[in-house]
Amino acid sequence: MQGLKQYLSVRRSLAHIGSYWIDLSIQIGGISFLLVDTLRCLFRTKLRWTATVDQMFKIGFTSLPLVFLTALFTGIVLALQSAYQLKLFGAQQFTSDLVALSMCRELGPVLTAMVVAGRVGASIAAEIGTMKVTEQIDALRALATDPVRYLVVPRFIAAFFMLFVLTIYADIVGMLGGWAIAVFKLDINSHQYIKRAFTVLMFKDVFTGLIKAFAFGAIISIVGCYHGLKSYGGAEGVGKATTTAVVSALILIIAMDALFTAIFYFF
Amino acid sequence: MIKINGLHKWFGSNHVLNDVNLEIRDGETLVIIGRSGVGKSVLLKLIAGILDPDNGQILVDGTDIVTLGASGLDAFRLRLGMLFQGAALFDSLNVRGNVGFSLYEHTRLSEPEIRKKVEEKLALVGLRNIQELMPAELSGGMKKRVGLARAICNDPKVILYDEPTTGLDPINSDVINNLILRMQKKLGVTSIVVTHDMTSAYKVANRIAMLHEGRIIGTGTVDDIRNTSDILIRQFITGTADPET
Repeated sequence: MQGLKQYLSVRRSLAHIGSYWIDLSIQIGGISFLLVDTLRCLFRTKLRWTATVDQMFKIGFTSLPLVFLTALFTGIVLALQSAYQLKLFGAQQFTSDLVALSMCRELGPVLTAMVVAGRVGASIAAEIGTMKVTEQIDALRALATDPVRYLVVPRFIAAFFMLFVLTIYADIVGMLGGWAIAVFKLDINSHQYIKRAFTVLMFKDVFTGLIKAFAFGAIISIVGCYHGLKSYGGAEGVGKATTTAVVSALILIIAMDALFTAIFYFF
Repeated sequence: MIKINGLHKWFGSNHVLNDVNLEIRDGETLVIIGRSGVGKSVLLKLIAGILDPDNGQILVDGTDIVTLGASGLDAFRLRLGMLFQGAALFDSLNVRGNVGFSLYEHTRLSEPEIRKKVEEKLALVGLRNIQELMPAELSGGMKKRVGLARAICNDPKVILYDEPTTGLDPINSDVINNLILRMQKKLGVTSIVVTHDMTSAYKVANRIAMLHEGRIIGTGTVDDIRNTSDILIRQFITGTADPET
């Protein structure tokens, strides 16, 4: 009896693992198909510019305060932690190098994407999910309108470009946070800090960060729209879709960041 | 004429529609009745091309819409109007945006022309001066009527009604029933109404079809259905529960 129970539980565990991988594959496949469909609509159909600008405002402009605070505090913490380590080697003047490189190559794009994924990704999934469960998506189809062209494309374009803009903004604010600590707390000369930061930053550093930003924008919008369009079962379904959209986007952002960092490191 | 041949639809292991065969004549109002969850709304969405069947044909004037591509399907949908169960008005658009949606999206009419047409369609469903209101500001009955105005804005040849009176009080239900009759008389459209409200079914139907366990088990005029000897249909129209349940 005991052996049978163990067998059953092993079988159940394997079934759980199998079902998890099947779900994951379906999700990745679905997201890829939606991306292809979005790109097809983007290049082949008339764009809804008013809706796109509206989404740019929602995704970009309204995220500015949150991105500002996140980037500012990250810059401050980064400067303090770097100075703490560098002080041991008497190399505190290199704080600016560390802050500038870390913000532009890594923290600017990743933290901005995470903040936007939590705020905007959730709102996209909730908005489209509510439309799905209240049959508004079916109504769009019944009115001969493709939901991908009408809903997904404007959000995709907006997130794609706004993440780029927000990342530049986060890079600047983060470096300003580091500058404030360096100048007012570490007694590093302001002119020296700025000069070092701009000298150490190469085109490749800024470029790699901004390429990541474009990719993260695409991930946030497509994942949010995918989970919204797949939601079912009323308010509970929308809640589930929203949570899944944020979690999936965060995991994909980190995975994609690792992939990009590896590519840029080796090539 | 709409002709449905051997239609099947599965959702996972659930065989929702199992060999549905049905004919809807031009200009008639066919009411599909059946218990909740038997697939009435699914059938309507299959006719509208919103869902794809797993097998079978849906012939509209001889063209099988199942085999149509995206553009062909869109052209067909522009000749069709659909009123959804909860009206399914777009939350982000005001009444004018909702009613004139297909005009804004698929025609090159100017703004004043669209406003005029929206006003006409709203007047047809008995609503005036509400173009600027948002869906959240409307009552249930008004939402259904705005949904109907949206469905007829393109002057469709076929109108599909999904539970048009569900959730409405008896007076508002009768208002909707009268509107369905008026649409048929004024516009001469073919209508398919899905409902389990027998008062509404008797009032608006030319013919009634009953869907049970994925199949059409009976079709006939209102009198045929009223006087049927089929136990399942009798049980449904009189609202008698199975003694064992």
